[in-house]
Amino acid sequence: MMKDDPNPVRSVAENPCNMCMPLGAIIPFKGIENCMVIIHGSQGCATYMRRHMAEHFNEPVDIASSSITERGTIYGGEANLKHGLNNLIQLYQPAVVGILSTCLAETIGEDIVRIAGVFQEEQAGSETPAMIPVPTPGYGGSHFEGYFLALTGIVTALAQPTRRHDRINVLVPHISPADVREIKRLLELMQVQYTLLPDVSATLDAPYTQIYRKIPAGGTVPADIAAMPGARATIQFGATVEDELSPGKYLEINHGVPLYNLSLPMGIVACDRFLNLLETLTGNEIPKQLLDERGRLLDAMVDAHKYNREGRAVVFGEPEMVYALGQVLAENGITPVILATGSKSPRLKELLLDLTADNDEEPLILIDSDFAQIRKHCADKRINLAIGNSDGRILTEKDGIPLVRMGFPVHDRIGGQRILTVGYTGTTQLLDLITNTLLANKLKHYRENMYAKHFPFQPKTIMFKGEVSDDGQF
Amino acid sequence: MKDHLSRIVDKYPANIFKNRKEHIVLVDHDSENPQTITANTRTIPGIITSRGCCYAGCKGVVIGPIKDAITITHGPIGCGYYSWATRRNKARLEEGETDNYLNYCFSTDLQEGDIVFGGEKKLKRAIKEVVEIFHPQNIMICSTCPVGLIGDDINAVAAWAEQEFHIKVLAFSCEGYKGVTQSAGHHIANNGLIKNVVGTGNTVTGKYSVNLLGEYNIGGDSWEIERVLTRIGYEVVSVMTGNGSIAKIKNAHLANLNLVQCYRSINYIAEMIQTKYGTDWLKVNFIGVQSCIESLRDMARYFDDPVLIARTEEVIAEELDEIMPVINHYQPLCVGKTAALFVGGSRALHYQYLFQDLGMETVLAGFEFAHRDDYEGSEVIPFIKEDADSKNIETLHLEPDEKHYRLVLSREKYETLKKQIPLNYFGGMIKVMKNNSVVIDDINHYEIDEFLKLLKPDIFCAGIKEKYQIHKSGVFSKQLHSYDYTGPYAGFKGAAAFARDIALGLTAPVWNMIRPPWKTEPMLEGSLIKEVI
Repeated sequence: MMKDDPNPVRSVAENPCNMCMPLGAIIPFKGIENCMVIIHGSQGCATYMRRHMAEHFNEPVDIASSSITERGTIYGGEANLKHGLNNLIQLYQPAVVGILSTCLAETIGEDIVRIAGVFQEEQAGSETPAMIPVPTPGYGGSHFEGYFLALTGIVTALAQPTRRHDRINVLVPHISPADVREIKRLLELMQVQYTLLPDVSATLDAPYTQIYRKIPAGGTVPADIAAMPGARATIQFGATVEDELSPGKYLEINHGVPLYNLSLPMGIVACDRFLNLLETLTGNEIPKQLLDERGRLLDAMVDAHKYNREGRAVVFGEPEMVYALGQVLAENGITPVILATGSKSPRLKELLLDLTADNDEEPLILIDSDFAQIRKHCADKRINLAIGNSDGRILTEKDGIPLVRMGFPVHDRIGGQRILTVGYTGTTQLLDLITNTLLANKLKHYRENMYAKHFPFQPKTIMFKGEVSDDGQF
Repeated sequence: MKDHLSRIVDKYPANIFKNRKEHIVLVDHDSENPQTITANTRTIPGIITSRGCCYAGCKGVVIGPIKDAITITHGPIGCGYYSWATRRNKARLEEGETDNYLNYCFSTDLQEGDIVFGGEKKLKRAIKEVVEIFHPQNIMICSTCPVGLIGDDINAVAAWAEQEFHIKVLAFSCEGYKGVTQSAGHHIANNGLIKNVVGTGNTVTGKYSVNLLGEYNIGGDSWEIERVLTRIGYEVVSVMTGNGSIAKIKNAHLANLNLVQCYRSINYIAEMIQTKYGTDWLKVNFIGVQSCIESLRDMARYFDDPVLIARTEEVIAEELDEIMPVINHYQPLCVGKTAALFVGGSRALHYQYLFQDLGMETVLAGFEFAHRDDYEGSEVIPFIKEDADSKNIETLHLEPDEKHYRLVLSREKYETLKKQIPLNYFGGMIKVMKNNSVVIDDINHYEIDEFLKLLKPDIFCAGIKEKYQIHKSGVFSKQLHSYDYTGPYAGFKGAAAFARDIALGLTAPVWNMIRPPWKTEPMLEGSLIKEVI
């Protein structure tokens, strides 16, 4: 092991920065209309994932399990899965059922694709929902790969050869329901006909209504997914996605739909690229409303640049978000000191190296990382801003680095489903939050820093004690 | 009421109908025979249970709160990640203590290659790394599903590591598929602690020394209970496992009485300590004002010292002076309201007493992973049929310890006292519930929805998975796993905090702006859709 290797090989993951494959794979299914998911494995998997998603989205998240017990590990879990499918269908009457596997199911060699087929054969005659099996062993990759694996699985399973039509496919990575709503608003303002997948804007952020529905309203309509091969183009916000996990690539190769693979529309450059593309594809002009929003973002950037230039940031999370954030930092003069992800994403590394090639300070790019590694590198780099999911709170608790929460999961604050960061307006909101976090941090430590500067030989008094909690918990 | 109940299960396919019917009891104390319930049986696949797995019960619940040990989850990343700081089992360093690893998550993060070629080597390397970085006194290894299947021998690795690094290393084979719920994991964790930890210490303990078993210090509960016990003059030798440590648990055999708070998760060790060391256990409940008073009096009666009894009354009076004004202030907002409870293994029973203090009635209660004795009382244990799933969890057969076995009470006194206080006995849930209330085991997503409509409770206490469904139905939900980041709710001060939180929750202005659907009869869903079409 090289001593200065920023990515030394370790056997222990200490405070991980990623989750497992099936969790990521659940989310695209939650963005399909009238869809339920069943996980083939021990029931703990479904329970843990429900728990983690419910706490982030502040919404009911219902995921079924085939509840394999020790018997199933010996004799196979096929009967459990079929029994589970039957019960799920009878009680919920979904139009689509996502079937995911787990470490347990894959290790004992369960073939969920075959079992789904057998189940449908056995039910022949009665109306069964569309079944989409996606093998997702927990050891197969992180939740980021799980997400795109499932998204590709959905497109592959539902897409049918379709006559050319005017719609545009829009494939989004794991972003908040508020972000999905914003992208839909942009598309509508541009008068684009589109099929957006997966549409979690209402399913994972449902309004309060008089009547509670066990499967929330909303989501992408399966018939629209079926028609995706006829679209005039696919816009995929998946700059960091490898080709074999890319649903846009699948549509391009198998159905000849031209793919425009962009990064998430965050920041002026990325938003411009998205809207210009829509303008080119449709011939529709960018409306004044959006130009005004763009102008406001520019106005905010001008006003904030003098504060932002002091920002030295660590960013962590899913590759797609990290790359988009890297661009926002670059546009605003904030130094990206550490850019990290828990996923294995060679493409992210290449993109970030390109993005930061001209920076004065070469950023540290950590792939397949964990928070122990991120923290270790924060120590000697004068970081004053962290951006990422709420597991990064350890940086605040232990090192006093303020955290702007975004991405998944946000567990120690309310409203993870409403965090808006895309489009000109979303970027403006995010930027204000970032700038204000830098300002608040500066003001909080102002007296302390002045005192240290002017009375360097006096011992610090306790009046400047930080706000780190004694047990580090909340 | 019976008709309504059958209407709920009627919607199930025939085989599920039969199964679920046996998990639901309409309480009727006038029935000829004691009522029975089916529990701790396999979950029906596909119906969205709230139950967790064996790993969750072992790592997440019982051993997770032990602060002076590094817990390494041996498996792919998910399980370790999902059980990282997700329960609010608080811990802090006390005088003389140096190790608290509760903020950390350690996983061997197994990859596909490890599953194929085995993960033992990676586990060894992981242990070596954490030893080099943290120098822990204790390490605990918990295995997840694939580890058991690929045959990694974590016990052998633990033995190797003990030799190699001269520290204590415990191995828990708590693969998620074992048993039918997290309850299996509790048992495995209890076994590990009695085999390897309890009995290895030798700190001298006093006359009124107790262990607090099955108290996980959620939101600081254990600190409040310990405050009251210490005021009276008890010495708390160890807590299992809230704010607990191996350093203290190893002395647990030297305490003179075991207090059992959460019966389900810890009764095994209470029984095993009794067999091996002779220590009696007393079922206590420190949730609720009256139940707190009763538990303290039972304890005083056990030790039967006039000074201790007088001191107990003195402390109770002082504590009441402090909290009753608060409770009396909030109680009028709660009186007459109804509650439903669906929580883990004991809370759905314990909190009924606290609601009673506030003048509220519990109309439905159920456990997630209970056994029949949690519902029907420990007298039913000899009649519980063993099945394949329960047989898979090892039951230890212990002999009295030659050196440390001793009885605190004479047999004669024990027999008299057993008639007066819950000594080595737990009465269960059904006995305390009123006629016509519903007891339900392993309630699922669909049934919660139906029971909300049927019973219309003013509050439904559950966990985070149920919370938002209940909120979406327009009903106040209080999380009794995490307390929604408040608490503590145990002990006297906890009862006052609970009264405040419940009263303010029930009267939150938002409830006036939304109405649960059943308050705007008739249900409009059908006709509205028709109109749209």
